[in-house]
Amino acid sequence: MKTYLLKWWQTIRISWSKYTAYRLNFFLQVVGPFLVFFFIKYNLWSSIYGEDTGQLIRGYNFDEMMQYHVWTLVISLLGQGYAAMNLSEDIRLGRISSYLIYPFEFWEFHTAGFLSFQILQIFVSSVTLGLAIFFGFLDLPSTMTLLHGFSFTFFMGFFWFTMQYFTGLLAFWLEETWIMRVLLSIVVSFLSGYIFPLELYPEWLVSGLKFTPFPYMSYFPAKIFMGVETNFMMGYAVLAFWMAVFAFVNHLIWKKGMRLYTAAGM
Amino acid sequence: MSNKVIEVTNLTKQFKSYKKKPGIKGSIQSFFNREYTTKKAVHDFNLEINKGEIIGLLGPNGAGKTTLMKMFTGIIVPSAGELTINGHRPWERKKDFKKKIALVMGQKSQLWWDIPAMDSFLLLQKFYELSDQEFKTRLDYMAELLGVVDLLHVHVRKLSLGERMKMELMASLLHNPDVIFLDEPTIGLDLVAQENIREFVLDFHKKNGTTIIITSHYMADVQALCKRLVLIFDGTKAYDGPLEKFEKILGNEKTVSFSFSEEIGGCDFIDKYDAKWNECRNHVDIRVPEEELREVSKKILDLYPVIEFNTEKMPIERVMKTLMTNPEVLRQQRENLSS
Repeated sequence: MKTYLLKWWQTIRISWSKYTAYRLNFFLQVVGPFLVFFFIKYNLWSSIYGEDTGQLIRGYNFDEMMQYHVWTLVISLLGQGYAAMNLSEDIRLGRISSYLIYPFEFWEFHTAGFLSFQILQIFVSSVTLGLAIFFGFLDLPSTMTLLHGFSFTFFMGFFWFTMQYFTGLLAFWLEETWIMRVLLSIVVSFLSGYIFPLELYPEWLVSGLKFTPFPYMSYFPAKIFMGVETNFMMGYAVLAFWMAVFAFVNHLIWKKGMRLYTAAGM
Repeated sequence: MSNKVIEVTNLTKQFKSYKKKPGIKGSIQSFFNREYTTKKAVHDFNLEINKGEIIGLLGPNGAGKTTLMKMFTGIIVPSAGELTINGHRPWERKKDFKKKIALVMGQKSQLWWDIPAMDSFLLLQKFYELSDQEFKTRLDYMAELLGVVDLLHVHVRKLSLGERMKMELMASLLHNPDVIFLDEPTIGLDLVAQENIREFVLDFHKKNGTTIIITSHYMADVQALCKRLVLIFDGTKAYDGPLEKFEKILGNEKTVSFSFSEEIGGCDFIDKYDAKWNECRNHVDIRVPEEELREVSKKILDLYPVIEFNTEKMPIERVMKTLMTNPEVLRQQRENLSS
């Protein structure tokens, strides 16, 4: 058991040093999201609200709208990483040959990579959060609220990873999966409430989304952080269900893909 | 206990692929209506390898060498036939099996590009569950022998091809495997690096008694490392036997070349031995039956102003070339032998 855990730990460490290998890259990764947020979302919404920052748009005044968006940013940093991106590369370029030879499985390697990425993102998202507080976009919520919000976001991160894993595995058939991933991320951005809060969408759509994973990937955790949402169980249950579905499908795809795999380019 | 490390019976691997005509029209056509073709990459292959042997697996590009290596290491699953390595079926990919084999691919890096080789080694140490002591002893030994002690902490992407290949070798051998598969380990390397790698492999073999299967297009590798050759053509085994026998597969004639200080006119004595003269007629290659070699060479040395002469260094190279351009020769040889 101990030797097995050591394999995970060392993989986490090595992924960590891969992510931080390029200093400038890393620096941009840390401060970039906040800058992008500031230039796009802040400017967009301040021109929408104009002078009258007190007016309500679907129940949000300007400050609340900004708070909502800071939280969705923090959530996406923390829970919607791109750790599974390397996975499809590995398949496409035939690099899984190496993993098939190691006494450490492919999924184990990539899951460890994901965990490592999560640890790194705690740091990145804290910087973003710190900057947002420093520039007066929001006040730090109570410890309890933060704890609830972060646990849920982490849980969502696992779901996101299993879904990303799914798109990655499609590389067995598609050879290029980036277009799939771009489409998925656009759909997710819209339906999860990352681009607009779900209150801006028609009623029928929002209630239809309730049993899909989407609202729980941005809107729901943002509301937890803002102290509005307190019924967490629904979110956990829906995500757990979808996570199980994707994990099962991934398992099947992997088995089928392996039979198909001819180690092209080895 | 049986001494056989690798046992292969009637191993077959088929690949299905589809044809695509060029252009957009072809793409659309092939999207809706695919014509599949089945290619037999390896067909009815039989092989037995004993513990501690070094086997050279030779054949032209696309003959099925790499497919064989992939089946041996469990990367791909055979379509038919039996294959056991150290008692394991590779494609079941058991951890016990994985800990006993190693694959080095000259064309493909297993090391992580963005970090120093040492970090990869440390990861492999954990993967293969090596104690710190084992790890350090083996690493020091290999790094010393390959002369890369100072490069362990350099990022892999900054290493030269030769240096990287040495690291790849180290990475694959850290866990002291029982069977090593080397797939073109010296490809693209300069002569010195090639020689380093060969010496290292020999030393490792001597020290550990490892079974080694090597594929290479460089006959120098084969000459230096292998006592036994397995030749594969179009997915089937064409030759399996000792290196010396292979060298004589086209007859037991030796190629000898002479350079002269002046032009040599008509010369029936030399021409009799299938002589190939150069343009200025001051250099000739002849083919002499082995038993006449001493006598003929002596005569030429006595009679003509010879300034240089040598016998062929790597007859295996010539044999390979002949067989690759004309695989029929081998079939004829076999028929002659059996009749």
